[in-house]
Amino acid sequence: MNPRAIKGILIKDLKEVRREKMVVFWVFVFPLMWVTLMGGLWGSPGSPVTVDVGIVNPGGNFSTLITGVMENVTINGTHLFDVREFPDVSSGLEALKRGSVNALILFPKDFDANISSGLQGKVVVYFDRTDPQDYQIVSSIIRSFFSGVGREFRERKMEMMMAYIPGEYFETYNLSEERIREYFLASAEPIALEERSVRGEKGEGIRFYVTGFIGIQFLFATMLSIGSSVLEEINKGTLRRIAASPTTPWDFLIGKSLSTLITITVSILVGIAYARLVFGSTLFPSPFGWLIIFTAAVFSMSLGLAIAMLTRSERSTTAIVNLVSMPLLFLAGIVIPASIMPEWARPIAHYFPLGRALKVLRLSDIYGRPTGELMGDFTYVLIWSVVMAVLAVASYAWAIKRME
Amino acid sequence: MMALRIKGLRKRYGDFEALKGVDLEVREGEIFALLGPNGAGKTTLIRILAEGLAYDSGEIKVFGKELSRETRRLIGYVPQESIAYDLLTVRENLEFYADLYNASRERIGELIELFSLPEKKKAKELSGGFKRRLNLAIALLYDPKILILDEPTTGLDVPSRREFWEIIRNFRNEGKTVLLATHYMEEAEELADRVAVMNEGKVIATGTPGELKHLIGEESIITIRGLLKGLEGIGYPFVERGSEIRVRVRNPREALPEIVEILVKAGSSVKEIKIEEPTLEDVFVKLTGRGLE
Repeated sequence: MNPRAIKGILIKDLKEVRREKMVVFWVFVFPLMWVTLMGGLWGSPGSPVTVDVGIVNPGGNFSTLITGVMENVTINGTHLFDVREFPDVSSGLEALKRGSVNALILFPKDFDANISSGLQGKVVVYFDRTDPQDYQIVSSIIRSFFSGVGREFRERKMEMMMAYIPGEYFETYNLSEERIREYFLASAEPIALEERSVRGEKGEGIRFYVTGFIGIQFLFATMLSIGSSVLEEINKGTLRRIAASPTTPWDFLIGKSLSTLITITVSILVGIAYARLVFGSTLFPSPFGWLIIFTAAVFSMSLGLAIAMLTRSERSTTAIVNLVSMPLLFLAGIVIPASIMPEWARPIAHYFPLGRALKVLRLSDIYGRPTGELMGDFTYVLIWSVVMAVLAVASYAWAIKRME
Repeated sequence: MMALRIKGLRKRYGDFEALKGVDLEVREGEIFALLGPNGAGKTTLIRILAEGLAYDSGEIKVFGKELSRETRRLIGYVPQESIAYDLLTVRENLEFYADLYNASRERIGELIELFSLPEKKKAKELSGGFKRRLNLAIALLYDPKILILDEPTTGLDVPSRREFWEIIRNFRNEGKTVLLATHYMEEAEELADRVAVMNEGKVIATGTPGELKHLIGEESIITIRGLLKGLEGIGYPFVERGSEIRVRVRNPREALPEIVEILVKAGSSVKEIKIEEPTLEDVFVKLTGRGLE
C-alpha cells in the first residue's frame, strides 16, 4: 500500500468534486431538496385542518344551535369547519360527490322534537370514501365534534334532572348533591378518556426524513459517484497512466472510496444542519449510527462500481443506477416507513441491505433501541457490504484487463 | 549500452495481429523515431513499453533488465491525449502525479519553470501546446532515463511544433534516450538520430535518415502539380497525393521531358514542377508501395 498515492488520489478527487457543478447538485442540492419537500409535507406538525361540511338543516332550535357552534369552532385561530347549508339532501349529495364538501350532515325533521322530549336525536352523516385517508381524517373530526356536543347535552340534561330530585332525598340516603351529579355522569359515560401529550425525543417526523435523506445519498450520490469517476478515468486514459505508475489497484480504489466517503459525510452533515435550521429539529447519528452509515456506504459504492465496470459506459451506469434506485426509493423504506407499506413490498425493505441499514439506523438513533439488540441486523448489512466489495474489486480487475 | 532491446514482440487483439514479431534496439542517448502510418503498431508497441500492456510473446529489456513495474520507472511516457485533469490547475496536476510516482515536490517547481507553465491555470484553460508541455512535465516528474513520446506534435501549429522539438533535443543533450512515434516524416528527419520504419505490425527498415534514403539508391524525386491526366502512361513509379504526383527517377534530366510530354498529350494542365532529393516518405513508399498519410 502506498499512503502518498492514496492521499494524492483522495485530494485530487475532492478538488474535482468541489469544482464540478453537476456533482455539487447531486451530492448537496438534490438531497436538500428532498429534506425540504419531505420535511415540509410530513415532517412537522403543520397547520390545522379545515373540513368543508355541508348541512341540511330543517330549521329547528337545536340543529341551528349545533350548526352555529360548528361554524365557530377554532383551533389555533383557524376554523375547524367551513359550513355550507343546502336546502335538501339531493343537492348536498351532489356537492359531496363533486368534492366541494368533505361530508354532508343531515338533521332529520324529528331531530329537534326528539331532543326536546328527552329522546335520542339522530344525525345522518354522508362521507365520500373514495379517498380512504381523507375519509379517516374527516370522519374522525366529525365524530369528535358530535361526541363533544353529546357530552354538553348530557351535562345540561343532568342539571335539569337534578332540579327534579326532592331535597329530603339527600338527607334520607346521606348523599350530597355533588355525589349524585357524579353518579349521573358516570351512568351516561362510564369510562372517561383523558388525553394528555408529552414532548418525546422521538416525536418529530423530520428525524425520520433526515434518515431518509441519508438513504437517498446511498441510492444516488454514493452509488453513482465512484462508478462514474472510475469510468471517467478509463475514458480519459488517465487510469492507464495510474495503472502504469507504482500505484496499485488497491491504492486507487481506497483513494476513490475515501474521497466518496468524505464527500457523502460532508453532504450528510450539511443535511443534518439544514434540517435543524429549517425545521428546528434534526438527528445527529450516534457512533453506532455512523458505523451503520459507513458500512451501508461501502455496499452502495461497491454496487455502483460493479455496475460501472460491467457496463463500462457512463450513460448505461447512470441509467441502471436510476433504474435500481428509483423503485427502491419508495420500496426500501427510505421515504415511506416500512410499517405502512403493502405486505408484498415489506420484504424488499427488510432484505435489501440499504433498507435494512436504514431500519437499524432508525431503531438505534430515533427509537433508542440498545445496540446489542441490533447486532444481528448490522451483521447482515456488514456481510452484504463485504460480499459486494469483493465483487466490485473483481469487476474492476476484469475491466482493467479489458482496457486495451 | 542499449537503452531498449526488443526481440520478436507479438501482440494480438482478437483476430487482429497488431505486432508481428518486432525487433528493435534503441541506443542510450539517441533520439530514435518510429515512423509509420496510423495502424502500423507504433502506439501498441509504446503502450507495451510504457503502460504495461500485456503482450503475447517476445522479449523486452530496459538497460539490460527485463521490463517490469520497477524497470518501467526508468521510462517517462508522453501519450497523444492530454492526461491532465481539466478541473485541476497545472500545479495540482503535477502534485497529483508526483504523489503517484513518489516524486519530490521540488521537482514540480523546476518543471514549471523549465516549461514556462502557468501554474495557477486550470488544465482546461490551456492551449494545445501548453497541454503537451504539461504532459511532458508529468512524464519528467521522476527524472526517467528514457522518454517515450507518442505523436507529440499532432495538432500543434508550426511554431509550437518547433518549440517542442527544441525541448526534445535538449532532453537528448542531457544524455537521456528518446523514443518518438510519429507519422510526420519531417519530424523524424528533423529530430531523429535513427529511424525505424513500421508498417502493418512489423519493422521494415532501421537506420539513420541518410542510410534509409540510400535505400532509394541514386534516385531523385520529380514533383509535378496541376490538373493531371494520363498518369497511367508515365512508366515510372509514382505516388499521387491530391493534385500532386511524386515520381521516382534515376536520371531526372532524361525522364522529366518524357513525363511532361505524356501528361500534356493526355490533356494535363501542369502548374509546377520540382526536382527534389528523396525524403523518408519516399523511402516508405518504396518499401511499402503506399504513402504515410
